[in-house]
Amino acid sequence: MNQNQNFREKILSRWAGWSVENWGKALLIALAITVILGFGIARLKMEMTFYSMLPDKSNQVQDFKEIVENFSYASGILVVIDGRSIEDPMKAEKTVKDVIDKLTLEYKKDIYKPYISSVIGSVDMSLFKEHGLMLTKIDDLERLKRSYNNLNLVPLLEHINDDFETEYSGNSDKLADEESQAVAQFKGLGELLKLIEYAAEGKVISDSELDKVLESYMFGDPYIMSNDNRMGLMIVQPSFTINDISLLQPGVDTIETGAKKIASEREIKAGLTGITTVGRDEMVTSGQGLAVSSILALVLILGLLVLIFRMFSVPLISGIPLITGILWTLGLSGLIIHRLNIMTAMYIVALLGMGIDYAIHLLSGYIQERDGGADFKTAVEHSLIKSGSGIITGALTTAAAFFTLAVAKNNLIKELGFVAGMGILSELFVMILMIPPLLAYREHRLIKKGKTGNRIFSKVKIKSDAASGIGKLLVKAPITIAVIMSLIIISFSLKAGDVGIQDNLLEMEAKGLESVHLNDEMIKEFGMAPDGLLIISTDLEEVRDLSEKIDKLSSVKSVESLADFYVSDKEYKERGSSLRQFIIDLDSVDPSSTVNTENLLEELYRLEMNLMEMGDMAYMGNMNRLVHTLGAITGLDEDGAKVEETSFDRLFLMLEDNIDIGVSPSMKALQSDIFDKMNQKIRTMASTDKISLDMLPSNIRDSLISRDGDSYLISISPTQNPWEGTYRDIFTDQMESVTDKGTGMILVGDQMNLMAQEDGRRASIFALIAVFLILVADFKNIKLAVISMLPLLSSFITLFGIMALTGIKFDFVNIIVVPLLIGIGIDNAVHINHRYLREGKGEMDLVIARTGTALLMTTLTTVIGFASFIPSIMRAMRSTGIVLSLALAIAFLYSVLFHPAILIIVNEKLGLNIKSWRKK
Amino acid sequence: MRKILISLLLLTVLCIGFLAAQTAQEIVNRADASFKVDRVFSTSSMTVYKSGEAQPVQEIESYTMQKNGKSYSLSIYTAPRRMKGTANLMIEDDLWVRFGSTGRTRKLSSSAKKNSAGGSDFSYADMGDSGQGLSEKYTPRLAGEETALGESCYKIELIGKNSDVPYEKMVVFITKDTYRYIKIDYFENNANIKSMTFYDYKTVNGTDYPFRYIMENHTKPSRTEVEVDVFETDSSRVQDRFFTTGYLESIR
Repeated sequence: MNQNQNFREKILSRWAGWSVENWGKALLIALAITVILGFGIARLKMEMTFYSMLPDKSNQVQDFKEIVENFSYASGILVVIDGRSIEDPMKAEKTVKDVIDKLTLEYKKDIYKPYISSVIGSVDMSLFKEHGLMLTKIDDLERLKRSYNNLNLVPLLEHINDDFETEYSGNSDKLADEESQAVAQFKGLGELLKLIEYAAEGKVISDSELDKVLESYMFGDPYIMSNDNRMGLMIVQPSFTINDISLLQPGVDTIETGAKKIASEREIKAGLTGITTVGRDEMVTSGQGLAVSSILALVLILGLLVLIFRMFSVPLISGIPLITGILWTLGLSGLIIHRLNIMTAMYIVALLGMGIDYAIHLLSGYIQERDGGADFKTAVEHSLIKSGSGIITGALTTAAAFFTLAVAKNNLIKELGFVAGMGILSELFVMILMIPPLLAYREHRLIKKGKTGNRIFSKVKIKSDAASGIGKLLVKAPITIAVIMSLIIISFSLKAGDVGIQDNLLEMEAKGLESVHLNDEMIKEFGMAPDGLLIISTDLEEVRDLSEKIDKLSSVKSVESLADFYVSDKEYKERGSSLRQFIIDLDSVDPSSTVNTENLLEELYRLEMNLMEMGDMAYMGNMNRLVHTLGAITGLDEDGAKVEETSFDRLFLMLEDNIDIGVSPSMKALQSDIFDKMNQKIRTMASTDKISLDMLPSNIRDSLISRDGDSYLISISPTQNPWEGTYRDIFTDQMESVTDKGTGMILVGDQMNLMAQEDGRRASIFALIAVFLILVADFKNIKLAVISMLPLLSSFITLFGIMALTGIKFDFVNIIVVPLLIGIGIDNAVHINHRYLREGKGEMDLVIARTGTALLMTTLTTVIGFASFIPSIMRAMRSTGIVLSLALAIAFLYSVLFHPAILIIVNEKLGLNIKSWRKK
Repeated sequence: MRKILISLLLLTVLCIGFLAAQTAQEIVNRADASFKVDRVFSTSSMTVYKSGEAQPVQEIESYTMQKNGKSYSLSIYTAPRRMKGTANLMIEDDLWVRFGSTGRTRKLSSSAKKNSAGGSDFSYADMGDSGQGLSEKYTPRLAGEETALGESCYKIELIGKNSDVPYEKMVVFITKDTYRYIKIDYFENNANIKSMTFYDYKTVNGTDYPFRYIMENHTKPSRTEVEVDVFETDSSRVQDRFFTTGYLESIR
């Protein structure tokens, strides 16, 4: 042992000596540590959703998390039944409704029990049928009272006409807002007209027939259908949330399989969307992305090593410690932070590219020693002392830069800093621990086979002076190179500020996901977007106040809340007395035994005209579903041309012909039945009993009241896709004009971006300071430390410029990894500095010749680690792969071209001292 | 001395503010002049695009007049077939609609002026209020200068003088050299809900008028384009008798 060795070198030397002689024991030590850390791996949870990455310091995020945990509504899985493949609209509607009914039954089977808490296939009208009038606002109640105060046929039609003329005439906005409701009511009205026609013909109308028609007219369609009725929607309330990682994938898969099976039996399609489904897709696609990236990175890196070293045992000698280092990182993460998210899991894959650098340095050193004629043991010892010292300093610098992420405000970035730092240290430690004994095992095998180890490496083809051409060029024209590089940097700096931020979370998901596609389809077909805003409140008065204000906003399609079911004491009194008077009024009207034909004709003519006018408005307002529904009743086609005979036409003929005779007995009977049945239904609806929250249908209660019963949810559906364009700002600005309590994935996504930008900036500044201090400590020269930072800073400017020019955006995944680049990107300049200080002035060509190839190799492996994300289907991973690979490639170019040129200019042309102050 | 200085400073600030307000008012008045012409007859084609898909082209004959300080406007649809004969009559805040399909006329409530006209992105108020000019109901404030549609413009904020105005705020862009409206942003609940842009200005009887304008709805995937085919001011085709419900009912 050399007496001049420092403490670190002595330890390395001793370890090299002992481990090559006791390679079995040394490997057992590594195995034992791996087994211990295996407990950590067993505790590790893979939380591969964006939800698991949400920042913890934002009120909006805290509200959102509370909603997800406490309201099953937020986890609702939207099952979209798509019957658009059926041409006949009537058949499509019927098939879709059949599938909804069948699927509602299917989801009651045992296999779904662990995953489903309730299913909403159609709207539960039971409460409305009993308390509908008490739940109606006083103005609307007075309107309904006017409509229903005389249920004899002619007055009933007269009041329906009055209502249409006051409510809808010339008001296409109202018609559009209430299109679904209006379609259902007009369908019921169309059926009622048919019954009147049949009665006019003398046919007897059965009770059940009339009951069905009146239900349809009074209460509408209970199914949630698209604008053209070819698609239907079901809501499955899962028993888990997006945060129940163990249930998320099997649960959503099972529900999805059921939906697709039942739909395919009727030859239509079904798909799932909503936050929970998107969460499952994130988990699956990020998992797939990571698997592909890991395999790709490992194969490429080890393949590269085989090519370079021409040594087929390299994949084992470097690959085993590399994977062991990964296992250690996973184990430590499991023991300390218990989880990996998309970002930290991606880092683990990237670690393959960084960890292998240590193996490259150690193996290169060993090979050079053997080529130089050293025996096996000496070669291992020397390589560990020479290369080991350097890589320890390098790794500590990088790890220190990573650990500075602990200054971040949010746990997400702290976790990344921890995993990244521990990853580097684990790889470093494992490489030093395992490569000497693995080389010894190889040597042992070669000797056993009768081969002499020291001749084996004659095959090694590392052309160590491959970069000498660049070195010569740098020495020849450092100023020209520095000026050219500076101009390039300045050009990119002009664009650097334009780099965009990805604020659409859906654009970060995998391309072609059904859940994301259905998100868009829902906006197009149902006129509502699944990703709206949510508000929680503990005060029902506030719920109503906010709901009413928000419902008036032009960017809001609909508001769902308990406001529709909340009646204050004052309102009870007001509505109660109005309803009691209504019952008295109903009692005062007797069923008429006659029907005035002339008046009936007049009201039917009026009704037809009202429906035609509403058809005109629907036509101009592009309300196709309404145009078709009204067209079926009035016999008008889209252009307003009369194309078929209708109940109206036949009734006009019959009634005009019989104007002197009067109506048929069947018509009188129908009038009597309508009177009785509607009277009965309205009286039931007019209950003045108090409505408590317990009386709400279970799906509404479960959706809008928290599990602990203390808070209430308001759900706001936007009119357009809230992720896209300027609409997002309009929606959120209008919401903020009413309340600042809104939350939802859009706002939470903004918080993620904000967090990433703020913490990313903060962590970057700290990482830069840490790296600068380490450089100052290492080189003991402030000028050299500053110069060494230049290529790194220039690479950032260039990266931002390229991103702005190519439209690559920062997102909350790739922006957070930027501070890691500081730790990685500085390495090359440090290596060049060390060599230049050793070789001296005028020797830059030698410096580049000796270090260039090694730097290229280590950069290449690191780039491979990050670039392995580029083929990933998840766009967040792909963009991270592109940004980081690009950044490292740029950093490499600046390190080997710009940095040496600056060193020559500063040290040799300007004569500034860059030597350590100790040596001055 | 200090008090005098402060007073002078305050006075200067107030004067500058007053002058700026005057300037904004003058700019809007000059731009409004194009729309304040009397007895205008025009024919135009209106196309509504829903989610980028063109709906049937609506062809409209319009008549406007100012009389005794009142604004009158009548729009009659001549196409498509389904809308032929449908007409809107506005006299100040009163609005009537005549349906072509039934021949019936309905008086709408004054609040209906904010509703969409013919399924387009224009409200009845957008279509009928132009004769008065924007300065009538809004207080202007110069908000700076900006380039809009490639033209150097004054940017002026118009705040509703009372709560009856259709929009709480508008931001208008008026060209600095020709005092033409280039763009109007309409605001509701702090958000720009739709924008109208003006193109193809032509001079008719010494008045500049846009022969093409587009209303883009920012809360719905919809936009409406209007192409003016004929534009006449002081037109003999505009007759007082047109602006009565009796005439409305007689339209065929």
